[in-house]
Amino acid sequence: MGHYYLRRTARMFVTVFLVASLSFGLIRLLPGGPFSLLRANLLRQGVPASEVDARIANLQNIRPDAPLWEQYADYMLAAGQGDFGTSIALGEPVSRIIAQAVPWTVFIVLVSTVLIFVFGILLGAIQAYWEGSRFDQLVSGVSVTLMSVPFYVVAVLALFVFAYQFGWFPTAGTVGVGVETGVNMAFFTSALHHAALPIFSYTITGIGGQALAMRGNSIQVLGNDYVEVARLRGLSDSRIATRYVARNAILPLYTGFLLLLGFRLGGTVILEQIFSYPGLGYYMWSALESNDYPLMMGTFLVITVALVIGVYIADLTYGMIDPRISRGESDAY
Amino acid sequence: MTTTSERLHRSNDAVEDPILEVKNASVTFDDGETYVLDDVTFSIERNEILGVVGESGSGKSMLASALLDAIPAPGHLSGEVLYHPDQHTTVDILEFTDDELMEYRWADVSMVFQGAMSSFNPTMKVGAHFQDTLKAHNESVPDGMEFAREILSDLYLDPERVLDSYPHELSGGMQQRALIALSLLLEPEVLVMDEPTAALDLLMQRSILLLLEDIKEKYDVTMVFITHDLPLVASLADRMAVMYAFELIEAGPRDRIIGESAHPYTRALLNSTPNIDAPLEEMQPIPGKSPAPVNVPTGCSYADRCPLATETCTRDAPSFDQVEDEHTVACHHWQQAREEIALSFAGGDEAGRSTGGERR
Repeated sequence: MGHYYLRRTARMFVTVFLVASLSFGLIRLLPGGPFSLLRANLLRQGVPASEVDARIANLQNIRPDAPLWEQYADYMLAAGQGDFGTSIALGEPVSRIIAQAVPWTVFIVLVSTVLIFVFGILLGAIQAYWEGSRFDQLVSGVSVTLMSVPFYVVAVLALFVFAYQFGWFPTAGTVGVGVETGVNMAFFTSALHHAALPIFSYTITGIGGQALAMRGNSIQVLGNDYVEVARLRGLSDSRIATRYVARNAILPLYTGFLLLLGFRLGGTVILEQIFSYPGLGYYMWSALESNDYPLMMGTFLVITVALVIGVYIADLTYGMIDPRISRGESDAY
Repeated sequence: MTTTSERLHRSNDAVEDPILEVKNASVTFDDGETYVLDDVTFSIERNEILGVVGESGSGKSMLASALLDAIPAPGHLSGEVLYHPDQHTTVDILEFTDDELMEYRWADVSMVFQGAMSSFNPTMKVGAHFQDTLKAHNESVPDGMEFAREILSDLYLDPERVLDSYPHELSGGMQQRALIALSLLLEPEVLVMDEPTAALDLLMQRSILLLLEDIKEKYDVTMVFITHDLPLVASLADRMAVMYAFELIEAGPRDRIIGESAHPYTRALLNSTPNIDAPLEEMQPIPGKSPAPVNVPTGCSYADRCPLATETCTRDAPSFDQVEDEHTVACHHWQQAREEIALSFAGGDEAGRSTGGERR
């Protein structure tokens, strides 16, 4: 058992290491990479070569004239210490930008994913109990429709209608201008007000899929003998619904939940752009536009690591929820 | 349906102290269009083991569910199911309120399902199933668990280990025995077993049967053992009932059903049973197939496949005839059947024995 967790943890570190190396390789090994372009530009502007190298070294913690393996070692060591260099466009350390942006993105992704999960499961469970009813048909229809609409379409529409036309919601930012960051009511309401539309567009397009999945699982579980046996044993309906049906129906959704978190994190690149919401995705996009490679690599790395950690947590905790998985005797995961 | 209520009443003449009486029980689906149990009447004697045999899809499981008024949702059960907690009390369980029914199930009549592996919630420990049941019936959990440990030990299981295991951590035979223990937890009067050994290997089937006999003695429980496996139940049952196409067709003491069966179907069924004593050539499959629950023929439902069928058979449904004291059969030509359909195994009736003699 312990052996499995150990191996699983080791694999996570290997994955993160590979991702970091890949991000270095992608930027560095491409012919005419960003830094040679930057270097050429600076040299053309008449900046002395030594100063150019120093500036680039400062930007990415590497010396452009050093051998490749040394550059790689420097980069990995720095990244391991949380130092991703300095943003070219913003002139700030990448780590500081990310530290500022991450809480907002996590806030949006976490809240919307939890909402999706909770409402999806409730709807799906009710649908399963009333299988074939008017309610079931209606919710299924709406679910399929909403599933087919990409979240950015809803986002653009919501932004246009509720923010620009009605003016109910702000069109940009994470909190209102002049609102003090801290544990106070004004800050919370302002943050919620700003996050409402992004969360809404993320949630409304995700609930349908979860509801349908939960519906299918529940119907399958309801058909199991152990539900019928529990009924004959005289158990109350609520006990059967929660402990016998819901738990077994939710289990398969759990891994999906953590994966969803990870993928939603990637989706913020588009979502935060639409709402001009300065989170992780927003900075990644602006880094792309301004060829801000240190920032790009930093955000890329953070998003990937978040996904890897999500899967890791799912793997480790699944055994706690489903006793059938806990032993981890098999190599496959 | 053409069946009449009086025709089956005689099938329970023999029972003196019935604990359960089923009268004209029918289970219909599709607003009475589809019969999956057709006017079945029989009784279960206190403290006997009744074996109910029939092929797959003959309505055996419906019969089992009917005893607990637990027919799955769109199905409708009509008739009477009378329960006698003692000799002088009679209650019709179909008249029960939901609360009374909840109390009756498992505490008075409990059931072991087909396939124990799927009868336990996979994400709950076996012990939690016992506790849930005790709580649902407002029983003392410590006392009940003490009793559970006793039953588990009687079934040759290590109580602590089993109660602390998840279902998937137990073997099929262990799960089956744990399920039997769970069904005995509230000390029911009647235990209905629906194919309790179907998913087990032959050795495990055998050892569970032996255990059941001991359990029956110790816990003083009446058993209804439902199976398609005729030889299996023949070794256990006191009385047997044979089902065909959602109807009961013959009932009687075990030895008479095996040795001197009167219904052509029972005789054919016995002849088609693999038997180590009979050479392969002597095993005779029954030609044709049993009717579907829709459009059951008006006359005898076995007429299509019966070598003795006459016009009467296709026209009128046979009523129950008394072969001997406790042995009843629903067939127009049962005397003829005993003469013309020889039982092909040793230990059969007169005719069977004579063919058996010739064989040797």
